[in-house]
Parts: sequence; C-alpha cells; structure tokens
Amino acid sequence: MTNWPPVLRLVVRNFESNLDYLTLIVMFGQPAVLVLILGTMFNNLIPTAATGGSYIAFLVPGMVAFQMVTGGVLSGRLFWLDRRWSMVEQIFSGPFLRAEYLAALLLTTVLFAMAGVGIMMVVALPLIGVPPVSPLDIVVILVTIALGSLFFGGFLIALGSRLRSANMYFTIQSILQYFLIFLSTVYYPITSKTPRVLSTIMWANPLTYAANTVRDAFTGNLGTGDAIGLSVLALLASITFAASIWGFRHIELGPIQ
Amino acid sequence: MSLPTGTPLVVARKLGYSYAPGRFAIRGLDLDLLAGRIVGLLGRNGAGKTTTIRVLTTLLLPTEGSALLFGTDARRAGREVRRRMGVVLQSESLDFVSLERNLTLYAFLWGVPREVAKARAEEMIELFELGPMRTRKVWALSGGERRRFQVARELMHDMDLLFLDEPTVGLDALTRRKILKYLRARAQGGLGILFTTHILDEADQLCDSISVLHQGRLLVHASPAEIKARYGGGRTVEVEFGRPLDGQEAALRRRIIALGVGYLSLPSDPGKICFRAANAEDLVAELMRWARETNTEVERLSVRETSLEEAFVGLVQAPTEPDTAERP
Repeated sequence: MTNWPPVLRLVVRNFESNLDYLTLIVMFGQPAVLVLILGTMFNNLIPTAATGGSYIAFLVPGMVAFQMVTGGVLSGRLFWLDRRWSMVEQIFSGPFLRAEYLAALLLTTVLFAMAGVGIMMVVALPLIGVPPVSPLDIVVILVTIALGSLFFGGFLIALGSRLRSANMYFTIQSILQYFLIFLSTVYYPITSKTPRVLSTIMWANPLTYAANTVRDAFTGNLGTGDAIGLSVLALLASITFAASIWGFRHIELGPIQ
Repeated sequence: MSLPTGTPLVVARKLGYSYAPGRFAIRGLDLDLLAGRIVGLLGRNGAGKTTTIRVLTTLLLPTEGSALLFGTDARRAGREVRRRMGVVLQSESLDFVSLERNLTLYAFLWGVPREVAKARAEEMIELFELGPMRTRKVWALSGGERRRFQVARELMHDMDLLFLDEPTVGLDALTRRKILKYLRARAQGGLGILFTTHILDEADQLCDSISVLHQGRLLVHASPAEIKARYGGGRTVEVEFGRPLDGQEAALRRRIIALGVGYLSLPSDPGKICFRAANAEDLVAELMRWARETNTEVERLSVRETSLEEAFVGLVQAPTEPDTAERP
C-alpha cells in the first residue's frame, strides 16, 4: 500500500488532474501580465502616496492578495469538474471520507494561492526590488493569502455543491470575481476623492482587507488595522468553511448540466 | 486474499430510500450477495437499480430497513468497508489526464503500490484492448472506449465486492463477451458482483441469480432459469397464420388459456399469435386442431426456449400497457 495520507493523495490528484497547462498559464499569467502592463502604464495616473508614489509598488501587493481569488477560482473549477464528471461520486464511494475530500480541496486552494504568490514575486521583484519585509511580515502575508483563499475557495465550493447548472455556477463565479477585484483596493486605493458608495462597498469587500494587509506588510507598516482586517478575514473564512461543510453534507449527487 | 465462496457480502432487508417524504425510489428490498456469486439487478428505467447501488455503496444512506456490508451497517460503513468495494458508476467518471495515467492515478488514490499499479495498468490495457489509445485523453475517446476504460480503471485495485451499473452500455458484442468472461473468472476467484444491465442476454449468461425491480420494489429474486420457467412459461411458441384471424381471436385465446398458458400475446399483426408455456407441445397440438377445425392455414410455427428478456417483459409489463399480452 502507498502510505501517503488520504488527503495528500487527493491533493496530488487535484494538482495533476483537471488542470491543464493552458488554464494554469492563464490563471497565473494574467495577474503577472497585469503587473507588467498596468504597473508601467498607470504609474502616473493613480495617486499612491502609501507606496511613495510608485504605482507598481502599490499594485504588486494587491496582485499578491489577488492570488486568494485565483486559488479559490481554480479549486471551485476543479470541484465543479469533479461533479460534472462524476469523480465526486467515484471518490466518495472509495476509501475516503467526505471531510478528506473537502480538506484536500481547501489545501489545494491554499497551495494554488501560494504558488500564485511565488509567481507574482518572481515577476515583480525585478520591477520593485526586494521589499523591506521581516520574517513576521512574510508570515502575515502568507496567513492573509491562506485565509483569503479559504474564504473564496470555501464560498465557491459551497456554491458548487448546491448548483446543478454549469452556466449558473460560472456566471456567478465570474461576476463575483470581477466585483471582488474591481471593488477592492487591489488596483487603486480608497482616498478622499473616492465616491462614498464605492468606498463603503470597498470596505465591505474582504479582498480590500487582504490587499491592505499585504501592502502594509510589504512596506513594513503593519498595525492594529491590519490585525482587525485579518480577524475579519479569519471570521469570513470560518463562515464560508462552515458553508462548504454544510454544502457537502447536503450535496445532491448525480448528473449535473 | 479473497473471501471463501459463500461468505455474505451484502445482506439487505426491507431496504428503502426516499428522495423526499413519500417519494420512494426503492422500498422493502431484500437482497443477498455472497462471495463468488454474481447477482443481476434488472428493471425498467427508473425502477430503482441505480439508487440501490448508490445506497449499497454508501453514497446514499438508507431511509428504511437495513443493509449490511461485510457485516457492517451501511449507515456506519466507513473507509474500511469502502476499501473492499469497487464501483463502476452508470455516469462517466474520469480525470483530465491520459488514459494510462488515469489508471495509475486511480490506483495511487487507492493506495496501490506504484510497481503493482504499473503492472496492473498493462494488464488492463491489454485485457480491454486500450493499447492504441493509452496516451490519449480519456474525454477524447469514443463512448464505448470510455466505458471500457471505466471498467478497466475500477479493476486497478483489490476488492471483495464489485458493483457494476450498466457496465456494457455502448460496447460491441466481442468486447462485451470478453468482459463478461473476465468477470465470471473473477467471481470464480471469490469476487461478489452486483450487476445491472438492460441487455438481458448477458444477465442470463453471467448471473447466478437475478433480482427484478419494478417501481422501486422487488418483484422476484431467482435464478435466470427459474425466472424463465416461472414467468416465461419455459417455451415460446410463435405461430403465423395464412390469413387474419378476423374476430376469432377471442375464441382461440380462451381455448389456449384453458390449457394453461404462461403468457399470451396477440401482436398487432392479426395473423400472428405468440404464447409461452411449459406444456408447449399440448398447446401446439390444440392450436393445430383449432386450425383444422376453422380451415386456417398455419404458415409458420416455431417453438424455442423463452429468453430472459421475454420472461422479463411478461413479468414487468404494466396492466396499463397495450392490451396485447396477458398473464392468466
């Protein structure tokens, strides 16, 4: 017998199956390309006092935080494909617990997000140089991304466990993804000129807390606000994790569209 | 290590599952499966075959009755019970890697050591004639090839009990024969198999016993021979007359039924009659007498063993269906 724990066997399978190279290139390449293009083109358009006036230095931590969305989207997609191609049933009827399958999905989400962070850093370091981060800052960044990806991945898994139509699932996922990104501080900061409605929505967006915390960690300015933001993120991740467990308990197996 | 033949693998009593209150997919189902035996689960579409397999593979929890899997209640059956079972689902299931990697990846999931998995993948590729497509993505294969792959994949790990939900759908006759032969050999080695199919000939060839489900309930559990004898009358007689019977059907029908017929059918063609009975010779003699009396020429007459399919149709044909058949 292979002595790997069931969760790790499932993670290996998650990485190897369902994810073709083109998808991975697009998912991880797109933010990297955005760093290059937006970072250079928008440099003079968007005020970024927090990062000394450099938009690319502002953008990079935002794109690092954005990896929580990438990780969540990839895992949500993987879960959906597993349902669509009956691998959920196949695995559930095998030597695995449902909890192990869920744990493997969430671990895959976090690992995807971490891989995304690595890719972002490889692209960004030549542009922004090595940021003055302490080991604690690095831990905070990784915890933030992990919690953020658990939040978004948990949400999409819960959603995917309830819906039976691919159209509906991917439409909701796309809309949510774009709202999360554009109504957050990933691309631009909240300033005194930001419309009140917009800033209210942005403050209600978990990605804003993740982006701000990562940004503060990059600039060595972590403070109480970030601790609160991280706590909010942890709370939200717990809620979506509970939702995904509930979804798994009530999942309707069988063919889906 | 295979279990001794005759060891109980599945013992279901009054098993039921309802998707919603009062909406039972199966109800009151008794089922036994022993090591080394092959049980066929037959029924029309929606009869409850797939639900039964889902309950017995612990994908669904029974809402009524009990099911013991290797002596463990299905409601509490965990990893250790499922480790001893294999299931080929009715729906296609696959990973987006090559066929060969699908086999070894699945074996990896089941904890099969790498070298064993490699050797077994070769064996399965050979057995199921999957060699030419081993490097192709499974989703790009034809329906029949994908079905072959799916059965092959399930045989990558060791098991004592195998559930097959319509495993031969879309397969050509030669491949089907090969698979059935292989399954028979595995059963002789101690594997217990629960098998659903709509190809009743293969159930006849393969199964030691058959459970017929109808609208979620068990109609009968018996050997294929018993079912054919009991519900198919043993022999099937088909007679074609030289002219339409023109209003004489009722009299003929009464005469045949009076002699004890298992199943009688007056097809839409008014010049044909078909019946099944154990005492087919007596009935044929009576039929010929009637033909002489009424100056009706018999153009063609055949007597043959009733097939399982004919017995099955006689068994499950609903009373609401066209009045072409009756079971006195």
